[in-house]
Amino acid sequence: MTRKEYIIKQKKMGRHIFGVFPAQYPREILWAMNVAPVEIWDPPLEITGANAHLQPYICSVVKLGLELILQGKCDDLDGFLFPHTCDSIQNLASIVNDYLGMEKPCYFFYHPKAPFRDSSRIFYMEHLKGLAALLKQQLGPLDFSKLNQCVEQGRQVTSLLRELYNMRASGEISASNVQFYRVIRQGEFLLPDDFIPLLEEFLTASKGRSVAGPAVILSGVLPNPPEILTLLDELGVRVADDDFLSCSRRLLVPFSQARDPFEAMAETYFAMPPCTTKGSSIDERLNYLFGKIEGSGARGVIFDMVKFCEPELFDVPQLVKELKERGLATLVIDSELNQGLSGQLNTRVEAFVEMIS
Amino acid sequence: MDYFAGIDVGSLSTDVVILNGGGEVCGYSIIETGANSTEASEDALENALAQAGIGRGDLVKIVATGYGRVSVPLADRKFTEISCHALGAYYLFPYTGTVIDIGGQDSKVIRVGEGGKVVDFTMNDKCAAGTGRFLEVMAAKLRVPLDEMGDLSLHAKGEVQISSVCTVFAESEVVSLVARNHPREEILRGLHRAIVSRVWSMVKSIGVNGEVTMTGGVAKNSGVVVLMEERLGKTIHIHSEPQIIGALGAALLARRAFG
Ligand SMILES: Nc1ncnc2c1ncn2[C@@H]1O[C@H](COP(=O)(O)OP(=O)(O)O)[C@@H](O)[C@H]1O
Ligand code: SF4
Repeated sequence: MTRKEYIIKQKKMGRHIFGVFPAQYPREILWAMNVAPVEIWDPPLEITGANAHLQPYICSVVKLGLELILQGKCDDLDGFLFPHTCDSIQNLASIVNDYLGMEKPCYFFYHPKAPFRDSSRIFYMEHLKGLAALLKQQLGPLDFSKLNQCVEQGRQVTSLLRELYNMRASGEISASNVQFYRVIRQGEFLLPDDFIPLLEEFLTASKGRSVAGPAVILSGVLPNPPEILTLLDELGVRVADDDFLSCSRRLLVPFSQARDPFEAMAETYFAMPPCTTKGSSIDERLNYLFGKIEGSGARGVIFDMVKFCEPELFDVPQLVKELKERGLATLVIDSELNQGLSGQLNTRVEAFVEMIS
Repeated sequence: MDYFAGIDVGSLSTDVVILNGGGEVCGYSIIETGANSTEASEDALENALAQAGIGRGDLVKIVATGYGRVSVPLADRKFTEISCHALGAYYLFPYTGTVIDIGGQDSKVIRVGEGGKVVDFTMNDKCAAGTGRFLEVMAAKLRVPLDEMGDLSLHAKGEVQISSVCTVFAESEVVSLVARNHPREEILRGLHRAIVSRVWSMVKSIGVNGEVTMTGGVAKNSGVVVLMEERLGKTIHIHSEPQIIGALGAALLARRAFG
């Protein structure tokens, strides 16, 4: 079922559909309030109208998101949620909410940035509860036991994803890189009732040996252009793990044992792996990457950057330097989303693979 | 005797090298790629085979490289030009630690390790800034034959500054400099300086390691080479046919695959 068909089906079932911009947000609250959050990362569109509102040096996640709205493809949605991920998303939020004259409810979700203090936790809890209170005005009361159930479902999703990632890191997955991310990315719009069985099925079906070629780690915002995965499959390379904002960084969070669902969600946020959008230090990010490299036998890291993504690009030179100093191969490529791999990018990836083979 | 061929299909030239089992070059050819890469690879191969005095049946393995490597149906395997230039340069100059390859549509700086293996590399972006194509456009604008522009620039008494490495902007700068009667030699020197500065930033990002070898067509341009040597503070190794180094590396990989 395509994303669109799924949304139509959910709508028919009486669910509210929200367009959610990257990256981290309390999905459990939305699920519990009968909302199907549909994440907007890289819709396959040609950018025409969005350029009139945004400077040329804004990333294509934001440009494509705005384009989706301008082309009327969000007209059937019941609202938007803008997490405060970076300045560009913040800018987008204000364009959509203040300037476009949209009739749709827009919600904003702020997270504290590192270094975290005791007050950060208080701030986060307040914002979680504040968001729930605002949503209540549009969607009706929040059922506490439903929220507890949803937090539990969130744990199940994470646990299945973790199992898949572990299988892959230890070379025990027969699925290709393309297949792996196709399934993981379904979580951007499937509700847990549908995502959990899909993950379970995929787990069983893809138990097996990984390809024998060299292993790499991918880092960046999201696995785009998808052609990079196809190329790595063709070259017999195993993506052994990732450090993508859209994937491992926000999906593989350690469990919280907290009874209170808000506490559990807050703990989850603070336990998220290091991320540029949380303000994590380079040292934390490096340790996280080294953990992944050691755990998977990867020989190098490919930084698959979205052009003009300031938070990510800011860290890359330092990460590359440190990784190289420890004898690891690195490759940095940056491209606009959905623009495919140019001949030159293709050559860079192939040469990188030859280098580590 | 066994023979091996390396075919490098570049944006401007298609180059072929034939090696015998002992690793000696027994034939090579450089032709324009033109509009059809497959035809160019066949023609260049025929030329090189004729020079070597052997037939296609004598070839044991063929490796293709270069941006057109995918359109060489004859090839048994393909490798990127990065691996091939590194290996070719290392084979000719075994102390090579850094390769600067400036071809028609891209430039690369490669750090070479033991056995001619790539340790690190960088490559320019999509545009023609800092590539041979940039020099070709400027040569045409100044009506200077490509193979004379380097030497001419070395005779310049002064130098004009070209502020852009973007081919389009630099072209209009050149037009206005010509209109103001600046000597051609000085404009050429400025153009060579612009390309060297662009490539120099790539060299710096990789770091210079050991001896430096230049490959690709632009290594034939003495003006670029002299300025690059000035920047490096050391002499650069250049083979008499720098355009065939990628094909040589490919032929060496063909031989290695067989051995
Ligand atoms: N005789 C020459 N003198 C100076 N420069 C040359 C000469 N022949 C070729 N070049 C330069 O080399 C470039 C082509 O390099 P080449 O390595 O053949 O490119 P590619 O591998 O992309 O086909 C030309 O753009 C030109 O600038
Ligand atoms: S790609 Fe980077 S700049 Fe763009 S929205 Fe994501 S984090 Fe922000």
